[in-house]
Amino acid sequence: MRRLIAGPALACALAAHAAPESAVSANPNLSVIARAPEFTLKDTAGRAVHLSDYRGQVVLLAFIFTTCPGVCPLISTQMSALQAGLKAEGLFPDRAKLVSVTVDPKTDTAEVLSRYARMFRADPAGWSFLREEPERLKPVLKAYDEWTRLLPNTKGWLDHPARVYLVDPKGNIREIYSLAFFNEKQALIDMRVLLAEK
Amino acid sequence: MNQITRCALVCAALAGLSPAASHSETCLSPYIKGLRQPEKVMYVWMLPAAAGQGRDVLAVIDVNLASPTYGKILKRVQVGSAGNEAHHMGFTDDRTRIWAASLNTSRLFIFDVSDVMNPKLAKTIENVPKLTGLSGPHTPYAIPGRILVSMASGPDGTGPGGVAEFTNDGEFVASHAATNHPYETVIKPEFNRMITSSWVSQKTFMSPFDKWDPKDSTNTMLVWDLKARKVVQTLTGDPIPLAARWMLKPNAKYGYNISNGANSIWMFKMEDDGSFSYRKAADIPYACAPGDLRQSPDDKYLYVSCVAGSEVQAWDISDPEHIRLVDTAQGFVQANMMHLTYDGKRLYVTNSAISSIDYSKRYMMRLLQIGPDGRMKEDQRFFIDFSKEPDGPARPHDMLLN
Repeated sequence: MRRLIAGPALACALAAHAAPESAVSANPNLSVIARAPEFTLKDTAGRAVHLSDYRGQVVLLAFIFTTCPGVCPLISTQMSALQAGLKAEGLFPDRAKLVSVTVDPKTDTAEVLSRYARMFRADPAGWSFLREEPERLKPVLKAYDEWTRLLPNTKGWLDHPARVYLVDPKGNIREIYSLAFFNEKQALIDMRVLLAEK
Repeated sequence: MNQITRCALVCAALAGLSPAASHSETCLSPYIKGLRQPEKVMYVWMLPAAAGQGRDVLAVIDVNLASPTYGKILKRVQVGSAGNEAHHMGFTDDRTRIWAASLNTSRLFIFDVSDVMNPKLAKTIENVPKLTGLSGPHTPYAIPGRILVSMASGPDGTGPGGVAEFTNDGEFVASHAATNHPYETVIKPEFNRMITSSWVSQKTFMSPFDKWDPKDSTNTMLVWDLKARKVVQTLTGDPIPLAARWMLKPNAKYGYNISNGANSIWMFKMEDDGSFSYRKAADIPYACAPGDLRQSPDDKYLYVSCVAGSEVQAWDISDPEHIRLVDTAQGFVQANMMHLTYDGKRLYVTNSAISSIDYSKRYMMRLLQIGPDGRMKEDQRFFIDFSKEPDGPARPHDMLLN
């Protein structure tokens, strides 16, 4: 049985985060990439959440799983920092939302996700952790091109495309970040730019 | 075991699985999931030797040394059209698709390689010049969820080109204008910088070589603010700066490119103020006409193919400012594209450039084994002769491994 590994991983993620920062761009090109596929998933309290509920707000959408040994805890750490940055600018939770969707709902029960969210100090007013039963989640993952497969010679760890999506207030994907090179300062700029659009 | 040791061990284990550690596969976009095991299959993008006749093919070659069909072509996936001039390819970031570009018709082909031994043509993008305002696609290069394609020229095959951006499944996103004829792309995400090299317009490179107008070639490399998709600096050097490689170590500030037109290797380097310097690192000692440049995963060696010189060269770059030629593998007539494995030990070489300039009488793929000192030795167990293809002789160009 896989265990939640976010404890040590968080320490490592924080250590890794001390590495030199990536450069940011003050004038990002945020072309419309595609319409963000609609979904209905459940939060950790069992309430239905539709992506379209966030229309009028900017959404950062990450696909994660709690037993992920590498980039997932790092991205959650960075989203925690982003949450703080958005709060400092008065954008969170009313104008900017964070959403983390598990790609491993069998392991990531609502309870496990709640514990994971607390570990990253997620403010439930604006940062939702979502899941659904595997068969219902499958089309959502497919729509976002989020395949999963078991990594060979591991304790059941999953491989999946390491992407984070930025969705504008009209429901369009405007940026896709790599988890490996995600920079929460750039994401903050990007969200600010989208919110300033008329 | 104390807590610090335990944490260090966990961190080490995690680092081994993080994407940042997966970038040792050389000469691919840093956003692509890395291959961290010996290759089993090679994909080769090739065109009929009788240029303009017959369909281009993605060939699937068994490169698993333990396999009874090692070194054999297992499958040929044809595209549905002729005269495309197959040239370069690139994986998407998740390694499930290959984008294959064609120089002449500008068509872009997307192959699904999620079943690695059985690629399928998933989509063909027609009317690329009309769609993008650009022509002559050279190198598809992955960014998260998307592909950037360096395009040599405007829609009529002349004038400056740019970089076209698509989603992984082939929906056009945007075009970004360049001032030259973009050839290849390298990105260093840590610095939010992209560099594109350059060559000639589509009209020129599809003309017979003796009709190439030297005035149409460019001698510039463009430095882009990647996020802004804007050119922030132009680096001027020798003519036709083709393949470019940024060093692989995280936060490495420099890289190299070859100048096909002046037989030289150039170094680009980000200085402390964020601007780039650009200087000649070495003259290649004779008429090599370098066609491709590959890098070792430890940033210690460069490999240069000589299209005119018919050899492959190994350069020691462990002292980055003072690079030196340390070995040559000769007898590689019209050596062109190369592909180095993730461990830096095997270098595959093909020998077709473009139908308009090819002079070799025989097209083939050969393999060089690389020693720990960077020196090369041909592996006699591996040799593929493309003159014996079932639909007639073919010209193999770019290669990818899985």
